[in-house]
Parts: sequence; structure tokens; C-alpha cells
Amino acid sequence: MAEIIIKIENLSYRYPRTKKWVLKDINLEIKQGEFLAVMGENGAGKTTFCQCINGVIPHSQRGKMKGRVIVAGINTVESSVSRLAQQVGMVLEDPETQLFTTRVRDEVAFGPENLNMPVPEILERVSWALKDVRLEQHADRQPTALSGGQKQRLAIAAAIAMKPKILVLDEPTSQLDPVGTEEVFTVIKALKDEYGMTVIIATHKSEEIAKFADRILVLKEGQVQALASPQEIFSNTKLLKENWIRSPQVSELATYLAEQGCPLSSFPILPQEAIRLLTHWYEEAET
Amino acid sequence: MSLIDYFPGDSSIHKLDPRVKVVALLIITVSIFIISNFFVIAAFFLACLAFWRVSGLPFKKIKVFLKFLLSLFTFLTLMQALFLPGEHYLLNPLIPKSVPLIGGLGRISLDGIVYGLLLSLRLLTLVLFMPLVTMTTEINTLALGLVKMGLSYKIAYMTTTAINIIPTFQNETQVIMDAQKMRGLTVFEKGRMLDKFKAYPALVVPLVIGAMRRAQLMGVAMDARAFGAAKTKTFINDISIGFLDLVALVAVLVFCGIGLAFNFIL
Repeated sequence: MAEIIIKIENLSYRYPRTKKWVLKDINLEIKQGEFLAVMGENGAGKTTFCQCINGVIPHSQRGKMKGRVIVAGINTVESSVSRLAQQVGMVLEDPETQLFTTRVRDEVAFGPENLNMPVPEILERVSWALKDVRLEQHADRQPTALSGGQKQRLAIAAAIAMKPKILVLDEPTSQLDPVGTEEVFTVIKALKDEYGMTVIIATHKSEEIAKFADRILVLKEGQVQALASPQEIFSNTKLLKENWIRSPQVSELATYLAEQGCPLSSFPILPQEAIRLLTHWYEEAET
Repeated sequence: MSLIDYFPGDSSIHKLDPRVKVVALLIITVSIFIISNFFVIAAFFLACLAFWRVSGLPFKKIKVFLKFLLSLFTFLTLMQALFLPGEHYLLNPLIPKSVPLIGGLGRISLDGIVYGLLLSLRLLTLVLFMPLVTMTTEINTLALGLVKMGLSYKIAYMTTTAINIIPTFQNETQVIMDAQKMRGLTVFEKGRMLDKFKAYPALVVPLVIGAMRRAQLMGVAMDARAFGAAKTKTFINDISIGFLDLVALVAVLVFCGIGLAFNFIL
């Protein structure tokens, strides 16, 4: 049984000068090495939730926070964002705003430089991080000259160069095309498999979630609507409809077939499963 | 189209130590402000053009900006010609000096034209020297230079980030203008001056809101990478002042010294 790395207790938060609570009484435990997807319609509180984990809330973003967030044994309220940065790496939605140097190598070095590390160690981390996101050939290019997918991979490299235990990604692929999306998810998956990194990702990309996530957290108006495996979430048609979540296409097909009175023997969320079930279904229909 | 975007290159100006570049720019700027002799300024201007040549920066990048300057200079010279009292006139005052308030107006003074041209050339030279530093120095190197000159690294980053964000604003302005044009806002192209002023909120409001949002996100991104965690910060790129840097600095000092000397002799 893996240990609990993030513990969220009765977390509520509201932005300054507003009355509405954006997060309401959230309780959650996340295990070391887990891949958690955060879903929900726009305005459900996904970004706010992500910012609570790396301490941007309440440190950089004022407002009122209730409850506790414990990350790797550190209470976020009592720590600082820069100290938490060594535990939690963060990737934002917009590839542009989070890159601010003129060279890929410098971008990755920025974090370790801030920790006042010796130069040889930084260089080692830079080459390691760039290799992990497969950008090692681009080390001397300008970040602005990279493609969207490459930019987000660079943002990931910049985050993992701090060797965090947790990686938080706030809609990292919402501005990317399918190829860029695929690139980014492949890199995230590799990081999880290789280093047992805990991944928390806010996203709308159901297909990828179905493939990679261990659990899905569904937020609605700042409250936890559901917390379960992708299988359970994507087969719950009512929940999906209420939260404007699109299920993977193969799941939609399965739902449609069930509505037409020809249910499959189990509920697929991945194309391979669907193929297996459909083949089986045809064979049965023939006999 | 920007005076500030880093332009990658391999010239000797690119390779100079950022500290030397910043100090040289300061010396040159101060000299240009002191010097009032037309010919000395012209010498500075020619030197500047030579530097541009060496740096390999393309003039094309600042063409739009130069066009804008040209209209400013025309206006400046015209005003001086019309209003600066002088001894030599191309056109003698239409209104005799004895008339109160507007007496002596309606002239074109030769001294005014010369003075206007001097002002213009001085401004142009100043403006052209700046990109020689900003466009040939990477932002991180510039920050490092400032830190090594004794600035705290937070302030150094604040400065360089502010410089760096200007091109982004220029792009954003263009995007907003295009978006407004697509919604039928034509005043920026063919409206009258007054209408343009009235339409400015349509441009400025989204620009400012966007800037604030952007600044906030950038702050989050920097925080998330431990900016400000330690008192000092390491830099993977080291800089050092070499022989050539010293030569360049001495050359600038000598040049400005001679320029100043000539200015006071002539």
C-alpha cells in the first residue's frame, strides 16, 4: 500500500472581494504515484484546486482559505511557495506565460538556479530533464520558436528539474492539437512510470484520461461530485451529463448500444476493450 | 517590429560583456545629452551606424518605428522654425514685433531649422544606440550583468522582465486591433483624431486587463519554480570581462572624451 502524499481536509476557498466559495469543503487523499484527473465544467474550481496544492493559494493569491492541505508532510499554509516548489512542480495552461527566458536550456535551469545549487549539478539536471521530455536537441533554441506541444513539454522539463514528488498540470493540453496532446500525455505517463511521480491533472481530454488515470475527481461548483475509477465515472451517464463531461468515444458507443437494447457484456473506456467486446458481441449475435 | 526583441547573432557586439554594454550605453547617452554641436552629434550618429553594421542587426526590424520618428522630427523641426526666435530668417516675421503677444510670429527662422535638425539627430542617435544593447543581449545575460553590478537579483529580474514583455504587448495590441477591426471598428484606419481618441478604450481596456492577467500568471509560474527561495541565485551562464571588453570600454570612453572636447572647443 503506497503512502498518502497529499492530504486535503475540509478545504474551502474564496477569492478576495467575492462572496462565493470557489471550493467547498473538499476532503481527499492522494497516494504516492497516483495519477489523478480533475474534471468538471469550466468554473467548477479545477484551477483553484490545482493552485491549492502547490501553495500559490494562499501565498500568492490572497482570499479566504479554510481547512488544511498537507503535501509531503508539509502544511501549505505554514510553508512558502518556493519551498513547496521542491515538492510540487506546476505546469500552467498557457504555454506562453510560463516561459520567460530566451533559451530552452536557461528555462529549465531557472528553477534549480533559484535554489542556489552548484552549477555542475544544475547542468546535469537540465540535460536529464530535457532528455525526459525529449527536447535535448532543442537546448539552444528560443522557447518562442517551439511548437505548442514542445512548449508544454519544456514547461514540464522546467518543473521536473526541481525533482518534485508531485506534478500538477492545469489544463496543459487545452491549447494544443491532437499531436501535441499525445506528446504531452506520453511524457507525463513516462514520468509516472519511471519515477513514481504523483500526477494531478485538470483536463477535458477524456480519451487520454481513460488511458492513463487511476482515479477521476469530478468537481462541480467547488464541491466533490464523484471520486472514482475512470471505468465508474465514464459509465455513469447521469453524472457525465450533469457535469458536461464528454466520455471517450468508445464509451459513447457502448452507451448508445445499451440504449438501443443491445448492451455489451461490460463497459469499455479504451479502444482495445471496445474492439474485444464488439468482436465478442458479433460472434454471439451470429450463433 | 520591435526595438527590444533579442536578435540572435554572433557579432563582436553580441559577445561583449553585458556590463560593458550597459556602462557604454550610459556614457554615450550622457555624452549625447551634453553635446550641442551639430557636427559632433553627426559623428556619433555615423559611429552608431557603423556599430549597427558590425552587429548585423537588420534595420528592417525597426522600419516602422523609424517612420514614426520621421514624422515626429518633421513636426519638431517645423515648430522650431516657426517659433524659435533667431537672427537669420528665411521669411521675415509677417506680424511686426510691436504687436503684443503675437508680435514677431509668422516667420521661418533659419536658426530654428538648424536647431530642430540638431534635436532630431540627437534623438535619432539616442534611439538607435539602445537596440545595440537590448537586441544583442539575451535577457538572462542582461539580468546576470545587472546582478554582478550589484543589483539584487529580484530587481534585476523585474527590470529585464519588464523590458522583455514590451514586444508581447506590441503583438497583443495588434491582435486586439485586428479583433476590433473584424467587428467593424474602422476608426483606427480612417477615423478623425477625435474619433480615434474616443475609440481608444476599446483598445486599452482589453490590453490592460490582459496585461494584468498575464503578469499574475507569470508570477505564479515564477513562484512555482522557487523564485526568491534563496538569498542569492546561481547562474549557469557565467560572464567575465575579457581583454576585448576592456578595449571596447576604453574606445567608447576615448571617443566620447574627444567628442566632448570638440563640443566645447568648436
